[in-house]
Amino acid sequence: MATNNTRAGLMRTGYYLIVMLIVGMSLGACTTTTIDEFRQGDTGIDSSESIVILGRRQGAAYSTHADFVECVGNRMGRGNDAITVVPEQVFVDALFPWFEPRTAPMRSEDLQQLMAQPLVTDKMSEFGIRYMVWLDGQTETSNRMGSISCAVGPGGGGCFGFGSWEDDSNYEARVWDVSSHTSVGTISADASGQSYVPAVFVPIPLIARVEANACNNLADQLKQFVKGD
Amino acid sequence: MRSDFNPVQISMLRRHARAFVLLLGAVVVLNACAARTVDIEGTYPSPNIPPLPLTLGVYYSEALQNFVYTERSDAGKDEYLVNSGSSHMELFNTVLPAMFQQVVVLDDPAMANERGVDAVFIPNIDEFQLGMPQKTRLDSYEVWIKYNMRMTAPDGDYIADWVMTAYGKTGQETFGSAEGGINDAAVAALRDLASNFSISFTSVPDVRDWLQPRLQ
Repeated sequence: MATNNTRAGLMRTGYYLIVMLIVGMSLGACTTTTIDEFRQGDTGIDSSESIVILGRRQGAAYSTHADFVECVGNRMGRGNDAITVVPEQVFVDALFPWFEPRTAPMRSEDLQQLMAQPLVTDKMSEFGIRYMVWLDGQTETSNRMGSISCAVGPGGGGCFGFGSWEDDSNYEARVWDVSSHTSVGTISADASGQSYVPAVFVPIPLIARVEANACNNLADQLKQFVKGD
Repeated sequence: MRSDFNPVQISMLRRHARAFVLLLGAVVVLNACAARTVDIEGTYPSPNIPPLPLTLGVYYSEALQNFVYTERSDAGKDEYLVNSGSSHMELFNTVLPAMFQQVVVLDDPAMANERGVDAVFIPNIDEFQLGMPQKTRLDSYEVWIKYNMRMTAPDGDYIADWVMTAYGKTGQETFGSAEGGINDAAVAALRDLASNFSISFTSVPDVRDWLQPRLQ
């Protein structure tokens, strides 16, 4: 009888420990995001005008993911104060071959030269592009730690262990005014967060939404910036 | 319940079923050993550039039409056969009509004079390289292609001969299979070729010299 009570007590303590561990990890799996804005000129956009968000893909080491570009565009195109965002692939295809990784303008001064091409100017007017936003950056994963082992036997299966890693997103958005061919500002977003996966029979992923937070915060700031708020 | 088969028929059916299973097994084993074929498929946009007021003849050699790159394993076994001939023709058939007022596809360069073209363009692939993540230890599939571009007068005289390279890669997040990764990287390389070719064509020194009197 005494042994049974001790076993029940141990099991209760075990459950409390697991619950506390999960609560602790949930709090720990938070993301810290820092947004910096550098304004070089006045901005504002009419309801008839639109913007395009393009990913930089010139570098050999990394290229800005199309998913991130799409995420920022979708967020800016939603809500009461939505801005019309031309999808990246639609724009790049329509203005082929001027916005391919090898041929895209690198500086706002190059835009002036590009806009001298009547076919480019016509397409830009067709889309009503007022601002061009160049997104450059990536999300890196580091500090991977721990291990999880899983086993299956005749009586059932389960996993045991612990894993964690850190995600770090660094993105920069350069805004070019298509009407004046100038750079009007830069917004940078740095987000980082630790993710955990404790496994006691079942793995419980507690994922820090680092890239999603970087996307949301950058998109909100960009929207305000473009509107001139 | 009455059976429709007599014991002889049942025995025959069993034998056929066994043979079928063996055949199926053999096909599966042979397929696992065989090199996988990747037919490059993609769409290429038409370039937004002013067309040159010329009639260009284009000749696709058999080497280009049937171009297949073979990727071998470290042990020298054929792993992937990458067919990009038809995709190259599709690309040039999209790009060239945007660059020239008229384009004529020639079955034989000797027909150039009778077809009334100003020049004949003959593209060829010199080299094709494929970077697989398991070999390069990078998170992407990469394709690098080296071309030899040739332009001749309708009578076969030299106009220009130049080398072009194209590069394309696919990030790991976009491919579900090796075949998909190879295809996407090759399509990116072909897009790179199309953009570079359409923008730099008139800057190739020998082409520029040939064009100058014709555009005045």
